[in-house]
Amino acid sequence: MAAPCRKMASRSFSQLLCYFSRTAVGSGACRRFSVTSIDRATPRASTAADRATSPWSLMAAVCLQRLPVITADCSPIEQRFKQMLQQMELEKSMLSDHELRLMEDAERMSRRQADDYDSDEDLGDQEIMMTQDLEDSWEQRLKNFQPAPRVRADIDEDLTSVQRCLADSLVLLAEQQVGAEKLWLLPQAAWQEGETLRQTAERALNSVTAAGVKATFLGNAPCGVYKYKLPKAARTENSVGVKVFFFKAILADGTPGSAPTASLLWLKKSELQKYLKPAYMMNVGRFILNL
Amino acid sequence: MSLVVSRFIGGVLSRQAAASRLLLGECNPALQSPWFFPVATLKTSAPLRAEPKKKKKVDPRRELMMRERLKKKLKKLERVPPELIPIEDFITPTKCLDETRERIPPTLSFEESESRALLLKEWSRYKQKQHMAEVEAIELALEAQREALEELKMESEELYRAALKPDPLLLPFTHEGPAYTPPIPNYDAPDGKYNDVTKVYTQ
Repeated sequence: MAAPCRKMASRSFSQLLCYFSRTAVGSGACRRFSVTSIDRATPRASTAADRATSPWSLMAAVCLQRLPVITADCSPIEQRFKQMLQQMELEKSMLSDHELRLMEDAERMSRRQADDYDSDEDLGDQEIMMTQDLEDSWEQRLKNFQPAPRVRADIDEDLTSVQRCLADSLVLLAEQQVGAEKLWLLPQAAWQEGETLRQTAERALNSVTAAGVKATFLGNAPCGVYKYKLPKAARTENSVGVKVFFFKAILADGTPGSAPTASLLWLKKSELQKYLKPAYMMNVGRFILNL
Repeated sequence: MSLVVSRFIGGVLSRQAAASRLLLGECNPALQSPWFFPVATLKTSAPLRAEPKKKKKVDPRRELMMRERLKKKLKKLERVPPELIPIEDFITPTKCLDETRERIPPTLSFEESESRALLLKEWSRYKQKQHMAEVEAIELALEAQREALEELKMESEELYRAALKPDPLLLPFTHEGPAYTPPIPNYDAPDGKYNDVTKVYTQ
């Protein structure tokens, strides 16, 4: 009797947990993504009818990201922990060949400087390089190589350059005409008959950037949607609002082309707030990961 | 005359055989004297039935059998399993077991060990916060995608089905990860010369 009671109790407890977490976080606690069964029975003829009756017009936008090129600086706690770990590892380790050589050299020097020094002991020492000299030669070779600077303040200030802020991931923003006004938003284009939404997004990207820009779209599925209703003046029976579907893309390595056609900005996630409308920012900020 | 003589000899032989039998009791015919051939076995023994011994059929067969047995034994000996290739990572090199290489473990002061313990705890708290933030971010992104697909389904079934199709050209996807310094533009890397000393084993 005790066992089934316990099972029931645990199941109800887990359901309770799920309920609480869902209400608390606002999204499911478990990382399930259920794919609903594809309805093969619907005939193709009805889709055209669906589109004609739906009051929403479709648009597709692209969220193009340039991933970080250099590693980010360590935060203070990360630096302290790194130093401590290195110290601990050094203490637990054994002596390496190089360290043994250093110790032998030190011993030899002390023997040479001792009073009862017998010069016959070391014959052919003149050919052997002292370990210290080896270390100096290595340091010299390192100094001869000049790596590119990690941070360049002037390029970081230029918001249109794709080389700015190499330690963070940047998102492309374009200024486009929406209705009556010009807004800063992710490059978007209206959907046309006969193409998938991903092709619309690719068209949007090509229209906004130069020809040489190569981007890898991550799959056919949209990563987010933004619905907005047109202002009451513009609303008709057939068009109540617009649904914008976002598609993620990653900028491929390589130098970007020449000056782009429209005004573009490359912004970090923290800087997006200044340029995007609040509701749009809240929606788009969900799928732009700062990782 | 000869008939009578032969019958007489036969009678004498049988009487003597019977007498010996009676004297010795039931005994092995092999123990009897070779002169007393039991008449019954004279006609049925195989070697006497056949032609005089030529040693042709049985011995070649026996020799063949011997040779086959020897060959089988040789094959069994030759069937050695192939020597296993040693995994060099699992063999501790003798350099590491050398006693002269041991470092003198330093004595830590009480403050030092305390600070290390506190730093470890702080680090675990920091990493936990980082991990929870990552998990939350991923869940938000997944929720956004789920909503997008729902809205798309409400709009048009065809586009929804097109969105669910996997993209065959996406994988394999490669991307160079972040390095410590950015790449130098138009850099001509020098040729690196190296001696490849990896041991190649053949079975």
